[in-house]
Amino acid sequence: MNAGNQRRVFWAVLVAMALGGFLLSLLTGPVKTTFGDLVDLIRQYDRVQAAIFLDLRLSRAVLAFLVGAALSLSGAILQGYFRNPMADPFVVGVSSGAALGAVAALSLGIRFAAFGFSGQGLMAFASGLGIVSLVYLLSLRRGDFRVETLLLTGIAAGALASALTSFLLFMRSDSFDQAVFWLLGSFQLAEWPQVGAVAPWFALGLLLAVWLARDMNLLALGDEAARALGCPVATVRKVFLGVATLLAALSVSVSGIIGFVGLVVPHWVRLLIGPEHRRLFAGASLAGGTFLLYCDLLARTLLPSELPIGVITAAVGAPFFLYLLHRKR
Amino acid sequence: MLKIEDLSAGYENGFVVRNVRLKLEPGEFVAVLGPNGSGKSTLIRAALGLLRNARGAVLLGGRETAAMGRREVAREIAYVPQLPDPVFDFSAGEIVLMGRYARQGRLDAVTAGDAEAVREAMKATDTLAFKDRKLSRLSGGERQRVFIARALSQDTPVLLLDEPSLHLDINYQAEIYGLLKALQIREKKSILVAEHNINLAAAHSDRLLFLKDGAIAAEGTPRETVTAANIRAVFGADVDIRANTRTGVPEISLAAAESRR
Repeated sequence: MNAGNQRRVFWAVLVAMALGGFLLSLLTGPVKTTFGDLVDLIRQYDRVQAAIFLDLRLSRAVLAFLVGAALSLSGAILQGYFRNPMADPFVVGVSSGAALGAVAALSLGIRFAAFGFSGQGLMAFASGLGIVSLVYLLSLRRGDFRVETLLLTGIAAGALASALTSFLLFMRSDSFDQAVFWLLGSFQLAEWPQVGAVAPWFALGLLLAVWLARDMNLLALGDEAARALGCPVATVRKVFLGVATLLAALSVSVSGIIGFVGLVVPHWVRLLIGPEHRRLFAGASLAGGTFLLYCDLLARTLLPSELPIGVITAAVGAPFFLYLLHRKR
Repeated sequence: MLKIEDLSAGYENGFVVRNVRLKLEPGEFVAVLGPNGSGKSTLIRAALGLLRNARGAVLLGGRETAAMGRREVAREIAYVPQLPDPVFDFSAGEIVLMGRYARQGRLDAVTAGDAEAVREAMKATDTLAFKDRKLSRLSGGERQRVFIARALSQDTPVLLLDEPSLHLDINYQAEIYGLLKALQIREKKSILVAEHNINLAAAHSDRLLFLKDGAIAAEGTPRETVTAANIRAVFGADVDIRANTRTGVPEISLAAAESRR
């Protein structure tokens, strides 16, 4: 199969899987529903059915899809940014930083809500952005900026944030359930306002990433070579770091830390359709969304009580990842 | 074409090259020679305006490159860096297409002109046959040719290369320099290479520039500059010089110390 055909198959399968995932999500839940009920709802509006299908299930499916897409896009950007396929939102400290904010809000008992976010979500978002800004400032040495320094500073700051999070949880052992929500992720609390809060930012991030995709292709072969080819490297890097951070912080603030998506999905997609970044950004977004949609389905159906989604993403993602790696050798 | 005036340039810890002057005429082939650390690569990078710590001027057709945008410079000078390790496995064709960056709008689709330039560049470098192959599947020589093709698709009058023969087997070294020579003659490219192999540079260049500790130690045609005295002064090596049997261009050979007695 040549590269063009393989890509067409990739897109066709992915779109079909995404649509199938949405349909399955709509039909799955504690209340028994059939496809017929869904068709009835489309024919004639019914308040109870609408509440089940649209407010409970569709909002959750859309949020899971958006968060998966955002995390995967963030990972794809950071892997290109660091020229390292092992990079993900954890390496710049944004995920751990955001979780720290959420858990701090939890243990301080902060309760308010704004812009569709809970107080904890807002704290998560702010501390995720804050920690990356701090990491960035610490990596500036004499006005000069090195990607390697950023990477190491990010990992260190992330570890520190994780330690503080663990400490806060240890001191407040009564809030265990909520802590699990932030540390392993869940869409149990999904609602339309959260979708509204995430969607425009994701759209903006995807637009910027696709707009600068050619620049990212050049960066993959070295900053100097990129500049020699005409790329405004410093500006492009700032935009990409900002977008990747925003997407990851936003994701954590609505659904907690969901690991593995940002690392593995862009990697899969690159193996399947190649490293060209315009295709990769679009493909990783769609694949990440679809992946998380199915993971969420598993999380809520596998056991009588709901599993944290982070458990599923790792358990499903890791073996598939290993398979793909070995298939290529 | 390209004029370097009193250029001093280097990195955080100070200048590596000092007060270098160099003029690259249209259609001329010049090689910068010198031992490791003498500043060959630094000179090439500084000529491209890639170093922040630089003093002096680089002029392109009379205009200072420092005052030009990166895109504008990229339409005049193409650069072939030392072979990078590809982290992400682009295909040869995708790499060559990157040369078109400075002539594309950010959201433009690949135009017929871009495709044509890529095809021409790959034909000239004999890489068209593996356009869709991944870079990791290519040999060092093939990979080097792909990066030269990328520089050609940039469609610039000036070509700068940083040690194009490094890490290549001798058959590939000959191949790459043969290709560069053909580009100089057929396409009237002005070519500046940093090179460590004296014989390779002497056989293909119109002029040589010897750098020692970042300063010009000798400059002139291969016949004028490839002398035992110059090589001793620049490299600290005792060599025998003889004329190439076919071309008459001087060549060095490293005589074993024993045989010198």
